[in-house]
Amino acid sequence: MTIGRDWVVLDTNVWIFGLRYQPDQPACAQVLQRLPQLHVKVPRQVLLELQANLNGEEMRDFFRLIRRYPERVDLHWDKVELSLIRKYQQLACKLGDATVATHMETLGVETLVSENRDFLYEIKGLPFRVLRAEDALRELEEEVE
Amino acid sequence: MSLCIDELATKIASFDPVDQDALWEKVAALNVQRGLKNLSQKYRARLAAEGKLDQTADTVMAELKKLREEIAANDYRT
Repeated sequence: MTIGRDWVVLDTNVWIFGLRYQPDQPACAQVLQRLPQLHVKVPRQVLLELQANLNGEEMRDFFRLIRRYPERVDLHWDKVELSLIRKYQQLACKLGDATVATHMETLGVETLVSENRDFLYEIKGLPFRVLRAEDALRELEEEVE
Repeated sequence: MSLCIDELATKIASFDPVDQDALWEKVAALNVQRGLKNLSQKYRARLAAEGKLDQTADTVMAELKKLREEIAANDYRT
């Protein structure tokens, strides 16, 4: 699994902290700056959350930006199977986290970059891993070297 | 401007194809970075106007978690 070549999902918190230049989350802005080196899928749940945080003009800028890199950033508006969401809920995930986990499984993406330390932390055998932004950057650096 | 572009295009066309690919990649990367910077500036200006730019990461994260549940509940209401 290589973060520079394989598809990843950036959790909403990485996009938002990165765009805010959140002082206590500097790695998120750095991950966004490395976007041209990543292959990023953006699932429906993350898109809807971004829409709720950005206003109309900002969202248009976001889409304009993404359209410049169609081979690197891939938007997915499809809903996921409710039965799969239920599977993650039965593993004690909240509905929202279960939805993101289901997107990960459905899209076949093996790395979620997220600053949510609680995200599915106690669940074993997930079909994907959760990396903090700082760790994602470290992996990228190692791959370049 | 169009003369400049013509000259530039002629020069680029003389490059080795590998160098041309590297150049397009670099141009695309710069465009993404510039786009992100512009978007970030607008977003930060709005947050500042709304008095939200200084929120701590914990506060922002708590809001994002709440939003996640609300959106999922609305999207997958049965």
